[in-house]
Amino acid sequence: MYNLSTVIKFEIMRTIKRKSFWIVVASFPIILALVATVIFFSNKSTGQAIQDVQNESFSIGYTDKSNLIDSDLTDKLSAKPISDKASGVSQVQSGSLDAYIYYPSSISSQQVEVYGQDVGIFKNSRYNAVATTLLTESVSSTVDDDIKQVLGGNVDFDSTTYRNGEVSDAIKELIAPGIFLVLFYFLIAVFANQMLNSTIEEKENRVIEMLLTTIEARTLIIGKIISLVLLGFIQGTLILLPGLIGYFALGSQLSLPSIDLSSIPLDPERILIGFIIFSISFIMFTGLLVAIGAAVPTAKEAGQFFGIVMTFIFGPLYAAPLFISAPDSPVVQTLTYFPLTAPIPLMLRNAVGNLSLMEAIIGTVILLITTAVIIRMAVRIFQFGALEYSRKLSLKEIFGRKA
Amino acid sequence: MINKSKPIVSISDFVMKFGTTTVIDSLSFEIQKGETFGLLGSNGSGKTTIIRALLGIYSPTSGSLLVGDKPFSVDGAIKLGYLPEERGLYKKEKVIDAMVYFGQLKGMQKSEARQWSLDYLERVELGDKAKTSIDKLSGGQQQKVQLGVTVMNNPDLLILDEPTKGFDPVNRRLLMDIIEEHQRKGTTVIFVSHHMEEVERLCDRVILLKDGNKAAYGSIEAIRKEYDNKTLDELFIEIYGHKESDV
Repeated sequence: MYNLSTVIKFEIMRTIKRKSFWIVVASFPIILALVATVIFFSNKSTGQAIQDVQNESFSIGYTDKSNLIDSDLTDKLSAKPISDKASGVSQVQSGSLDAYIYYPSSISSQQVEVYGQDVGIFKNSRYNAVATTLLTESVSSTVDDDIKQVLGGNVDFDSTTYRNGEVSDAIKELIAPGIFLVLFYFLIAVFANQMLNSTIEEKENRVIEMLLTTIEARTLIIGKIISLVLLGFIQGTLILLPGLIGYFALGSQLSLPSIDLSSIPLDPERILIGFIIFSISFIMFTGLLVAIGAAVPTAKEAGQFFGIVMTFIFGPLYAAPLFISAPDSPVVQTLTYFPLTAPIPLMLRNAVGNLSLMEAIIGTVILLITTAVIIRMAVRIFQFGALEYSRKLSLKEIFGRKA
Repeated sequence: MINKSKPIVSISDFVMKFGTTTVIDSLSFEIQKGETFGLLGSNGSGKTTIIRALLGIYSPTSGSLLVGDKPFSVDGAIKLGYLPEERGLYKKEKVIDAMVYFGQLKGMQKSEARQWSLDYLERVELGDKAKTSIDKLSGGQQQKVQLGVTVMNNPDLLILDEPTKGFDPVNRRLLMDIIEEHQRKGTTVIFVSHHMEEVERLCDRVILLKDGNKAAYGSIEAIRKEYDNKTLDELFIEIYGHKESDV
């Protein structure tokens, strides 16, 4: 591994010197602030629009076969009773009435029917809102406050759980080991493209032949992978650090919600397992993206394979509820032990605490072996694909050639 | 300073096939330490394939290709300077950074590589371009930088594959001067070229390849004698014919 440190230093320095590196660092907080602002104003506008709709007056007719509707409420809304459904519907059709609500005799077995003038997808919701409000308010007025709370699902619970006689909090417990899953996605999102392009650049610049006669392909590839991993941590730190400093320095002035770090449980075993799985997984995907970059002639062609790799990284998220509720199911077990999908279920299950030590060990060994194979493959691809400036290597060429 | 007792390159029974196509067919020759050796042939005759197989970039189908007394390795005893036919550098890097990087990879100390690079850039009239990114240089200026990277470790074996490709006459003269400097130091030079006047000027011995094997091999004098004292240009045309030749 002669020259490994030279490669690592060169790769890190030339990336850090690029404007694009700092643009990503600077743009991340700006994008977050923009997204937060958009969400804030969007929620405000939506809330305002709902309020406006509710305040807007329109003519209502109703038929109450259920005998549940409070006439005081209908009077407040100036809703006029109509004796039969056909008449109500026809008044809406003719335009003499904005809305008509039909409450059937049995609410539990029949549907409440609502008819109204079409005033657009957003405003049409006001008819259902009025029909629901009339019904719930009418019923609520007949029961006491406790029953009202129960029926409304507004009962507060304070639960305490114990593990081995000690109070435990499953939600808080997943924070520390769960950070590795968040970090994994963050680094992949920010760095995947750079991983993919790290060898393509040498190919596109025609510098490979000179490199291969100056340094071993293995040293170059491993140097690139290590530098990408280090750059990931450097960039991650640069992005997160200002946010953390800002939070702790200005949190009280800005009335940000306080986080009591001392209340977050730290389970050393789960944190260690999370860290190990995260580290190997990150190296594995870095190696895979570097290998793809080495196998194809241009960045454009690499893009086709990029989507497949992203499917392995983001696809398992669709099974996230299963990872938590049914860890022994065949789907979860398959995803846990299939090397390219393993990182997500392993890290998520470790975070929620349903990954046994044995499963963690087997998963880690699978990831380690896969990572070693991928790195070896990346070196072979780089050696054999180095001079393929115009076409991508076939699997037969990668595995069939003599070393 | 040719040392005939010690071949620096020994190629024996070398066969190279790509799929069903045989590019090199049982080729054997040696290059002596300290000599300048011309590797000649028409386009597609296998010159670059021989160089790439010799340097381990291609795996030979069969046969042995030795540099010194073993297959080439980047950390072997013989220092290599290689200017490939397909050439380029890290285009977004500054000239000095790219040169220092290659110098370090070739075993030089960072400060030594930096000083050597600055001296070389002064010599080739690029002293003011040290901190310019390579993609801002003209094609000829990039060639000069590439040549500097090739010779910066004072190589024992200098392999130049079509070195004058893309060079204007002034830069071609500079290249010839640098090659002659290294010849005087006793560096073994393998020179792949289509320019026969350069080959006649620089080379001690040559090999002419045709259909994956040698059409002629030996000193320029001996080969010319064998072919009725024809010039290498005439000889080239006679062996390859007008259609194949791109001289």
